[in-house]
Amino acid sequence: MSSSLFRAYVIAVFVWLISIVFALNFGAVDSPALDLIIQLRLPRVILASAVGMGLAVAGAILQALFSNPLCEPYTLGISSGAALGAVLGGAIGFQMSFSGIAGSAFFGSLLFASVLYFISLKSSNNLLTVLLGGVMLGFLGSSLVALWMALADANGIQGALFWLLGDLSRARMTGSIIALIVISFLTLMLWFRWRDLDGLLVGEEGARTLGINVFSVRRTLILLTSLLVGICVSAGGMIGFVGLVVPHFVRKIVGSMHFNVIPLCALWGASTLTFADALTRFMVSPHELPVGVVTALIGAPLFLWIMLQQKERSL
Amino acid sequence: MNNKPLLAAYGVTFAYHNDLVLDGLSLELKKGQLGSVLGPNGSGKSTFLKIISGMYSLKGGHNSGYIYYRGHDFHKYSTSERAKKVVYVPPDVRVEFPLSAYEMVLLGRLCQGGGFFKRTTQHDRDLAHWAMEQCCCWGLRERNWSSLSGGQKQLVVLARALTQESKLILLDEALSKMDLHHQEKIGLLLRKLTKEDYSFLLVSHDINLSSEWSDFTLILKEGKKVACGKTSDVLNIETIQKTYPGSSLTVGKNPVSGMPKVFFGVKH
Repeated sequence: MSSSLFRAYVIAVFVWLISIVFALNFGAVDSPALDLIIQLRLPRVILASAVGMGLAVAGAILQALFSNPLCEPYTLGISSGAALGAVLGGAIGFQMSFSGIAGSAFFGSLLFASVLYFISLKSSNNLLTVLLGGVMLGFLGSSLVALWMALADANGIQGALFWLLGDLSRARMTGSIIALIVISFLTLMLWFRWRDLDGLLVGEEGARTLGINVFSVRRTLILLTSLLVGICVSAGGMIGFVGLVVPHFVRKIVGSMHFNVIPLCALWGASTLTFADALTRFMVSPHELPVGVVTALIGAPLFLWIMLQQKERSL
Repeated sequence: MNNKPLLAAYGVTFAYHNDLVLDGLSLELKKGQLGSVLGPNGSGKSTFLKIISGMYSLKGGHNSGYIYYRGHDFHKYSTSERAKKVVYVPPDVRVEFPLSAYEMVLLGRLCQGGGFFKRTTQHDRDLAHWAMEQCCCWGLRERNWSSLSGGQKQLVVLARALTQESKLILLDEALSKMDLHHQEKIGLLLRKLTKEDYSFLLVSHDINLSSEWSDFTLILKEGKKVACGKTSDVLNIETIQKTYPGSSLTVGKNPVSGMPKVFFGVKH
């Protein structure tokens, strides 16, 4: 391992640890007693790390799979399925419990992921069809959510509404640990495919000339990534920008080889969301902001800056 | 076994949906040969190369024919097995993410597999170094892909093809953006490699480039063979007129190498 690469890993781990310490200590309550930290903040830190890791890794995978720097975890419409599930779950009385909303959201994401997987099986020759199919699924999901909101009683869907903006405040220890285990496992499974992902850097046709079985790789990646996105969105809601910005940031540091991109995305994704979640309590204390709002507030200017930097270099 | 051609394509018929692109095309390429495929736009040259490489399947629809590699049905090999035997070199490669020229060349080793933590072996690195030296692009190794010119990218992609260690390389307009100096260097490299048992099939619009280096030429028009044989025999005024009817093209000779050359035959 070269020294610059080693430094990149050390810095990533260091930033994550700092974010964890920051998240455990800062908050709306002035006296951070041990009980409070263990019962409320620790599950939240674990969930933020897990979801951040999953979103960043999913973003990196989808960008490589579609050779498109603008892809993000929500491009394929899985999140809209989760949103639909959450709103419907909220409407039938799950709004008060984290596991109820998360469960119905996960069910919705699985349903949309199955449809997307079916599309990928049918469109064996065209990746663009899968991408467009995902975007259409996204539109369908959000239209149905909008329709339901227009028709339903506003009080009934309040929990789901907060969830839609990204919300980690309902994290509980068991759910967080399960999310961390499943997301870590899926991340590991995706990391094992680094050779295939590197091949996909030169596009679908290029990958085939390098000996990559693009059809089978694509199906596996879509399946694993859909599950990953489904779990992340169900657990944390629609948290934007982490999955788009973190992979670009990591590639700027270590280049595009996925053997390093995936673990560094996992680390930086975890740090980013843990830090952003701590900020939600810190920014407008004693109130809380939805974490999706904070990541978008920080992420949008950062992404613009990265884009402008790239443009300057290409001039 | 050695009497068998390295590559043989028999009766290749291929259609995109209902548009027939190749119509019963056959070709044999022996070990150490450099063949070229010529023809007007849309004559099916690139499609033919992609079929040979296994990127397009001959199953289904109006498609038929066989591709044999050393006597074995080539399309029955797995994708990675195929990549170890035959490399298709595209005219250009687009990359959306930061990638150095050296990393691009090392991608050629992906088909060889390896352990999870064993990213590159000393052999991989030596091979990449050798290939980049051969293709005059070792000096570009740290440059970002997006900063390279079209011709430089082609040199790097050719180096990548050499690192795949396949003995048959299919060049699809793969020298088209290089300057004349590099076209000469790469042409000489291809000739040198044919003596080391490499074989090449070159698709090009540049008749004068391919006629200089190839042992034999296949001329296509609308997916059918117009002529096939030794380059100096095939490239004559009759076949050129047949391939590009109504044009003023005329055929002469390179005064140094004696190879046939095609010129515009109009005064202005």
